Amino acid sequence: MFKTLKAKIIFTSIIMLTLLLSVFIFFAIQSRMFTKQLMVQNYRFSIDALFVDDINDSIMTLEDNLKSLALIGGLHYRTSRSDELTDEVVIRIFRNYPNTLGGGIWFIPYIFDKSKKYNCFYAYRNKNNKVVIDKNFASVEYDYPNQGWYKEIISRVTPKRNIVWSKPYFENQGSNTMMVTAGTGIYVHGKLVGIATVDWEMSSVIKNISKMKPHEMMFSMYKRGKKIENSFVLLGNADDDYIIATNDPYLDGDSLVGHSLKKIPWYSPDLYGKTYITYHGKKYIPFFSKLHNGMVLVICLPKREMFRNVDMFYFPFTALILLFIFMILALVYFGMNRYIINPIDKLIDIAHKISHGEDINIKISKPAEFVQLASTFDTMTKDIKAITKEREHINSELNIAKSIQASSLPSVFPPFPDRDEFDIYALMEPAKEVGGDFYDFYFIDDTHFMFLIADVSGKGVPAALFMMTVKTLINNLSQIGYEPADLIKLINKKICETNKQGLFVTMFSGIINVETGDLTYVNCGHNPPLIKTNSNEYKYLECESNIVLGAFEDFDFKIYKTKFDIGDTILLYTDGVTEATNHNDQMYGEDRLLEKVNKFHNDFVDAMALDIKNDVLKYTEKIERSDDLTLLIFKYKNKHNSTCKTIYKAPASKDNYKQFYQWLHKICENWKISDELTNKLDMCGEEIYANIAFYAYPQAQGDIRVSVKKEDNRIILKFEDDGIQYNPLKKPDPDIDLPPEQRPLGGLGIFMVKEMADDVQYEYSNNRNILTLTFNIV
Amino acid sequence: MEISCKNFGIDGLYVKAAGRLDLDSAVEYGVKIKDTMEDSNEEIKELILDFSEITFISSFGLKVVLELYKEMQAKQGSLKLKDIPEQLKNSFKMVGFDKFLDIG
Repeated sequence: MFKTLKAKIIFTSIIMLTLLLSVFIFFAIQSRMFTKQLMVQNYRFSIDALFVDDINDSIMTLEDNLKSLALIGGLHYRTSRSDELTDEVVIRIFRNYPNTLGGGIWFIPYIFDKSKKYNCFYAYRNKNNKVVIDKNFASVEYDYPNQGWYKEIISRVTPKRNIVWSKPYFENQGSNTMMVTAGTGIYVHGKLVGIATVDWEMSSVIKNISKMKPHEMMFSMYKRGKKIENSFVLLGNADDDYIIATNDPYLDGDSLVGHSLKKIPWYSPDLYGKTYITYHGKKYIPFFSKLHNGMVLVICLPKREMFRNVDMFYFPFTALILLFIFMILALVYFGMNRYIINPIDKLIDIAHKISHGEDINIKISKPAEFVQLASTFDTMTKDIKAITKEREHINSELNIAKSIQASSLPSVFPPFPDRDEFDIYALMEPAKEVGGDFYDFYFIDDTHFMFLIADVSGKGVPAALFMMTVKTLINNLSQIGYEPADLIKLINKKICETNKQGLFVTMFSGIINVETGDLTYVNCGHNPPLIKTNSNEYKYLECESNIVLGAFEDFDFKIYKTKFDIGDTILLYTDGVTEATNHNDQMYGEDRLLEKVNKFHNDFVDAMALDIKNDVLKYTEKIERSDDLTLLIFKYKNKHNSTCKTIYKAPASKDNYKQFYQWLHKICENWKISDELTNKLDMCGEEIYANIAFYAYPQAQGDIRVSVKKEDNRIILKFEDDGIQYNPLKKPDPDIDLPPEQRPLGGLGIFMVKEMADDVQYEYSNNRNILTLTFNIV
Repeated sequence: MEISCKNFGIDGLYVKAAGRLDLDSAVEYGVKIKDTMEDSNEEIKELILDFSEITFISSFGLKVVLELYKEMQAKQGSLKLKDIPEQLKNSFKMVGFDKFLDIG
């Protein structure tokens, strides 16, 4: 999927960073939640410490104050002190409770005197914060025993001196504020004589709470002293189910005072357990507290504003981390490109160029590993160049060796133009390497012709050297004149002696007497040759294959003898033919070869050999052959006793004339030709030779080719040259009856030739002048 | 080829050669005789060619004989061939030299 290093590194980086990011986000969320919980607790502590405790303190002080007043009221009743004294004591008590707005002692009507209905001591703090006694309440106009708070309190007090809180009411007498009055009964000897009251102004309580500010210690990251907007408060009596005060912004707090708590939509008795409430689309966290006197105080803080700073901290923090991660990714990407991918690309490019033969100095400045790699690369390139050069040198030497080897095999066909007893053609198509195939043929005497094909084991230089040795050895030994059986034994022995490396040779060899057609052959572990006798089809020659040459020093090879008739043919080949494989790994095979040779209808050995070779090459086509491909075809044509032919060939020159007539004389002598005929041949030969030597090549030097052939009772003398076309027979005969004075000096020669030869023919073919003279043997 | 020339009488020259009178030797043979005749004090009127040791004569040899014959004719002299071997006589006859030369 990710094939390149680049893709792999990027992929790995992304995976790792994603994991890192996930872990981070997880912890960030956890931490945020934890922080919020911590904050809520902090708020609770703060609220308790700052407000609830304050209010409770105020309530307790108030109740203390109340108890003191009640005590003074009791004393006044029992001791019948003067009113002035009690006024003084009440003022002093109030001075001790600076937070008390006002309050007093109210006796039951007519308790001291049947004529004096109102007995009360009421003190309050005036605008100058001075405590003064207000006697206005002891009037018919106010008539305190008929006031709601008086009736409510006096009806609820008990001798246990409990403290009773009135429902909030609106004080319209002086301060015009919302009040709650706490009261307790004054009992003397178990008899209720009056009540003591203290006033508590609600609006200031609510106002104080609304001004609530987070405490410095609340959360260190929270901006100090900043007021939380949109918070609101509810103060109520849960036991008696009425609202004392609220500043809920969606409600009219004043009109709800004294009504049931059910009028507050967000309030429910189980509020204490809730983490937040949703009110008018906003989330609030309620802080619920129960006060000392049984009242409940609920402070609602808007959640969002409470945690604004936390979120303000976490969201940018997350974004920053994300940015950081992407920056790392980018850094990894660019760093990787610069320090890994680019140098690698460069090296790849250089390697590519070097492989195309370019000469390049590698220049990489960093990082250190690549500098080292480049230097190693450089060294390697130089080494490779040196090795390549050496290899080229070796290759060229091997090519030379190959051509030397190939040229050591006879390659001029026909090899014996003056012998027409047989046709022979052989070829070797070397494999890429120098190999060990070879063929050879030669006359071992005038009548015995030896031909052979051989395959040296192994390949390469050792095989080639061994092949040369073996070839020379066989050639030398066969010239000595051993009987075939002895010859092959000796060859084997000598090969064993010269072969310490355990190489061996397979060979098929035949010696034919070209006069009689007697063929002696031996197969030394070689492929069976194909043979055609009596104009039948080709078939594989059945003969014992003995063993390979060079294996056992003392081995008696089985020799076969047969007799060849005119037209009999033998085809020798090496396994390079039958074991040639095609791209499907199938071999050419013996059957295919047999089929192929039997398709031939003509007798031309060269055409046949070339055709087989091409067929094999076509078969293997794209596959590089591993073995040499070698073929030798021998066809017996004529018996020696009917024909004899020799050829003279040399540059046509007057200087070579002597050489020529000596050759001719020798033949005549060998063939036991009469002096008379010899003389004729001599004279005619000289004439034609001189003609060619003087006139055929006016410009440059050329050859003269003369063949003399004895056929039954005729001698055929044939002259050939490739000089300018000239037919001597067209020259008019000289008049031999002319008197000597009139006779020309020239023209005698050709006339004499015509006179002496029994037949003279001229033809010009293939750019050659051919003059054939026939002499009958009388 | 060995050629020996010998004066005889007042104006005679006797020439004896051995071997083949052919492409190789005929010219040499003719030139030698002509040179000898020119070098003689007296004008040669009688030329005798001894053929007894000539083994072979070709058209080149016959051509030289004809040349010498013509030269002697021009000088009012004579040319005689002596002891022509049997196997060479046919060659002379073939070209009709027997009509003006005594070939024996």
